[in-house]
Amino acid sequence: MASSDKTINTDVPEKDVFAIHFLQSLSNLTTQNPFNSPDTTNYRARKIKKAAYVSMAKAAGGSSRLWSRALLGRAAKENNKIVRFARRKRKVTWKISSKRRSDQRAPEATDRLRNLVPGGGTMETSKLMEETAHYIKCLSMQVKVMQCLVDGLSPK
Amino acid sequence: MENELFMNTEFPPPPPEFEPPSSSSAMMLNWALMDPTNPQQDPSFLWEKSTEQQQSIFDSALSSLVSSPTPSNSNFSGGCGGGVGGGGDGFIIRELIGKLGNIGNNHNISGEIYGTTTPMSRSASCYATPMSSPPPPPPPSASSNSQIMMNRTTPLTEFSADPGFAERAARFSCFGSRSFNGRTNSHLPINNNVVNNSGKLTRVSSTPALNGLVSPELAPMIPGGEFSRKRKSLPKGKPKENPISTASPSPSFSKTAEKKEDWSGKGSKSLEEKVGKRRRDEEEDNVDEEGGEGNKNNNTKPPEPPKDYIHVRARRGQATDSHSLAERVRREKIGERMKLLQDLVPGCNKVTGKALMLDEIINYVQSLQRQVEFLSMKLSSVNDTRLEFNVDALVSKDVVMIPSSNNNNRLHEEGLQSKSSSHHHHHHHQQQQLNNIYNNNSQLHPNNMMLQSPMNSLETSSLARSFTHLPTLTQFTDSISQYQMFSEEDLQSIVGMGVAQPNNESQHMKLEI
Repeated sequence: MASSDKTINTDVPEKDVFAIHFLQSLSNLTTQNPFNSPDTTNYRARKIKKAAYVSMAKAAGGSSRLWSRALLGRAAKENNKIVRFARRKRKVTWKISSKRRSDQRAPEATDRLRNLVPGGGTMETSKLMEETAHYIKCLSMQVKVMQCLVDGLSPK
Repeated sequence: MENELFMNTEFPPPPPEFEPPSSSSAMMLNWALMDPTNPQQDPSFLWEKSTEQQQSIFDSALSSLVSSPTPSNSNFSGGCGGGVGGGGDGFIIRELIGKLGNIGNNHNISGEIYGTTTPMSRSASCYATPMSSPPPPPPPSASSNSQIMMNRTTPLTEFSADPGFAERAARFSCFGSRSFNGRTNSHLPINNNVVNNSGKLTRVSSTPALNGLVSPELAPMIPGGEFSRKRKSLPKGKPKENPISTASPSPSFSKTAEKKEDWSGKGSKSLEEKVGKRRRDEEEDNVDEEGGEGNKNNNTKPPEPPKDYIHVRARRGQATDSHSLAERVRREKIGERMKLLQDLVPGCNKVTGKALMLDEIINYVQSLQRQVEFLSMKLSSVNDTRLEFNVDALVSKDVVMIPSSNNNNRLHEEGLQSKSSSHHHHHHHQQQQLNNIYNNNSQLHPNNMMLQSPMNSLETSSLARSFTHLPTLTQFTDSISQYQMFSEEDLQSIVGMGVAQPNNESQHMKLEI
């Protein structure tokens, strides 16, 4: 499922990478909270969702994508754990400065996209588009994996 | 040595004062005709020296040229008289070419100009050298201006024999002027463009005499120039970037050394290419992504390493402001990526326009996220008894086969430790094994085809739920080469197999952890 543009690289690992990470995180979850004392479904669902996102971020190449780094950072913060990434050089873009200038704008489509894509708050629009493309690919992969799992594990 | 030359030529250092253009043309002639008085000059040596010092000396040389004192006029008036007639215009033009080439810091142009005449000139080799070597930053020396001027006239005078050269050179000079006035559609508003340019081009602007010189001389060549420009809109394949845009007063443009090389690199190309709307499509290929958002400095030669700048050539009839150019490049980048996204998001082909596309994309992302949430809820509710995976057994089997060579990888870096640290040591070990497998596989096979095997084993184990199935999985781990045969279809089929099996063994679903 690798697509390679000439200048934009939005390659995404194969499905099994996602599957491995997800299963791994799931197993971690189950070991953490043995099912003897089932929490509310909601709580567990949320944990599974978080595990899904984290595993997706890891599978997608943890620190090579802005959104994955933001996701992992967010998750680590929730767990009160510190996560260190190799810092990439960040150019201060005038796009950011222009964004600050026009904070009063009505929520534009790009702003909504920024809210959706993790880590999209401080990217210029072209970078945001790249990240969105990669994010969409990874999301669809993750959805496929989860669907497979659910289908496999659900009683027939 | 420069002193020797100076003495040879017996040229007084020119006072730094400007003269009206009318006399400057005469001075050009004088300069051009200086050579016959000094036969012992070594052309190659002089030429090399001149190339080395062309850059910094240019405007001082120009000023000297322009402001040649009247006594020198009187000295050469006699010599001038004879040779002015036929080749006079040629001299002027060639002199101008030399200057113009230096203005643009475009040694390839000047090298080309002189290089084209190599078959005609006996000092062919000396012209090869200036082309090959980009000039080092020359030390400004006012004293050597005069003889450098003369030195440069030496090769010029040798071209006097070729009448066709004048015309060609004139056309080149048009290109030369256009190379640094690149964004202009009109022929030679050199004054305007020169003044607009910052950086090293300000020197040109400071010499209005040159403008006066150039415009009348090259005015007759304009139709030819434009014609040649149109004619030379050849399918070079690589569009032209606008060096001028690099001169815009932005802090990131301040790398003069790099600009120099870019100039030289593109000089030859800018000669042959034109500003055209239809080149925009090709231009996108050359937009260097590594460039900063405001920089346009791309090198069209693919083998060259990408620099920090992106060259952009202004389209016909469009604003040539650096900011608008930057805006245009940015917008094109965004449009390019929107096209990419359009392929990803299903059902976006009918939608056109940025806003609608963005809405579609947002909807798609939201739907995907909702799907993840829904599936996770389903997973949590339905599979609470079945989420126990026998990862350990599988992992240990695979680990035996695959040597774990690298324990340091991003999986470790990325806070996996945080998860593993909270586990029992046993599970920590298990995770590490899993990581090792993953890492090794990913390293060995970039397409992660080999991950199919542990993935298969995991899937089937979770679905197969009994140890009796495990031995059958070992055949997958026998040789790594077999893994390459796996494809996603195989995976899904195996998953399908696993799905079918619970029907038979739903009683024995429970697995050990």
